[in-house]
Amino acid sequence: MNLIEISNLDVTFGSFANTVAAVRDVSFNVAAGEAFGIVGESGSGKSTVLRAICGLAPVTGGTIRIDGQPLKTPRDAGFYRRVQMVFQDPYASLHPRHTVDRVLAEPLAIHGFANAETRIEQALADVGLGHGFRFRYPHQLSGGQRQRVAIARALILEPKILLLDEPTSALDASIQAEVLNLLDRLRSERGLTYILVSHDLAVVAHMCERLLVMQHGRTVEELTRAELQGRRAQQPYTRALLVASQGYVGQTPTLEKA
Amino acid sequence: MISREWLLTDQPGSRRQARYGQAFRTWLSLRSNRLAMVGFWIIAALIGIAIFAPWIAPYDPVVGGDLRLDRLIGPSWDHLMGTDDQARDIFSRVVYGARLTLLVVALVAVIATPIGLAVGTTAGYFGGWVDVVLMRITDIFLAFPRLILALAFASALGPGIENAIIAIAITSWPPYARLARAETLTIRETDYINAIRLQGASSPRIIWGHVVPLCLSSVIVRVTLDMAGIILTAAGLGFLGLGAQPPQPEWGAMIAAGRRFIIDFWWVATMPGIAIFIVSLGFNLLGDGLRDALDPKGRK
Repeated sequence: MNLIEISNLDVTFGSFANTVAAVRDVSFNVAAGEAFGIVGESGSGKSTVLRAICGLAPVTGGTIRIDGQPLKTPRDAGFYRRVQMVFQDPYASLHPRHTVDRVLAEPLAIHGFANAETRIEQALADVGLGHGFRFRYPHQLSGGQRQRVAIARALILEPKILLLDEPTSALDASIQAEVLNLLDRLRSERGLTYILVSHDLAVVAHMCERLLVMQHGRTVEELTRAELQGRRAQQPYTRALLVASQGYVGQTPTLEKA
Repeated sequence: MISREWLLTDQPGSRRQARYGQAFRTWLSLRSNRLAMVGFWIIAALIGIAIFAPWIAPYDPVVGGDLRLDRLIGPSWDHLMGTDDQARDIFSRVVYGARLTLLVVALVAVIATPIGLAVGTTAGYFGGWVDVVLMRITDIFLAFPRLILALAFASALGPGIENAIIAIAITSWPPYARLARAETLTIRETDYINAIRLQGASSPRIIWGHVVPLCLSSVIVRVTLDMAGIILTAAGLGFLGLGAQPPQPEWGAMIAAGRRFIIDFWWVATMPGIAIFIVSLGFNLLGDGLRDALDPKGRK
């Protein structure tokens, strides 16, 4: 049973003469408990797919179904309790004037959750932040700590689906690994379903069972992790991405005979 | 219990401590700006003088001395700023005038700031036709010369300092609405607003809890910088007979009264003029310092 079914999704921004088709005819399914990756270069429309799912970008064609139900526009409160998102830049996703406590307490207040006090403490503990962080402002936190707060905020409503928009690309390498391990652990503990967007094939290969490669708003191909690791990509663009993910490999200079 | 360490700790233990700590940091950054502190102490002195006016003023501000002997005396140790044509001590009138000035400033801030913030953030947040309607109303208010509109309101409401204040407040909110709207437009699309939207927050909650706190600092700065103009508009209305009524010791009205003999008895108009100048300067310096101290983007 597929938890998320997306078929022929189109997202077009703008109106009349200057329209930008950010996503064209993209379809994929994600099973419950699965981690699904979307890979592509900047401007390939991968983040827009996530934004379309949660209602931040206009769906101009196709359907998005969760649990077989088409989504309502605007999304209702029940949707927000099932689907949450973690944003790319932890420096931009926390309100500069709100303490961690306020950030975590607000969703609980909106949805009328009881015993907010224990839930907040628990949420902080779950993402590896102690009590000492609870009343800090974002400017008193490092990038990795901020992203942990953002993850705690997304998880405090106990959603089933987590949309991850390049959650580690703004962090340095050692912190990236910490946050990815944290996300991995949370998924196995809570049976979450992830859609992870990244430009980093290594991250996607580490996190996801299946992935979709996108370019210019269109699907290039869908791969499984085994295919990715075996480098059995069909499309030239995917192969180019695979080469690029090995990093810069300089051509060994060959000594020409003079 | 409230010590410097407690306020500046990296790990506050409660909401209250976090809030006090944040306020203390703002205060520290304001305090490091020497000019802003000059402004701060001028405003603090104004408030102190207004509160303790009866103890500071040596004479009655309304009832003058002997009309035959005490009129239009120059500054001396008996009358620090001289006396006016009604034989009233100008220093005492300036001291009591601080109360009226504070009243004008405080009431205009209390009335105009919320109107401007509400209109501006609502227009900016919703966009579309809400924005068009609210901003065209703002434009209509902006299109009138401010003093003329205040004049119309003051004459409709009747003369008196309270009505002048209401008239000034009604005419001074449009710039705050424009400012708040501009700020809101940059805040609206940020990820932290998207994040709270994704948590199902209602629009009033987002505007009030998330957008307004970020607009507030720039609007407060703007209001502080406008205070000088507000005091002068109040004086202008008083001059036209629609603001403070005689014998109220309002600074603008005092200048208007001294205008008739400014060549021969310069101190009558000059002394309240100096008071307006110092207070306006104080508000401007404080506003400038607040801009730096309250900027959420500039602080690390």
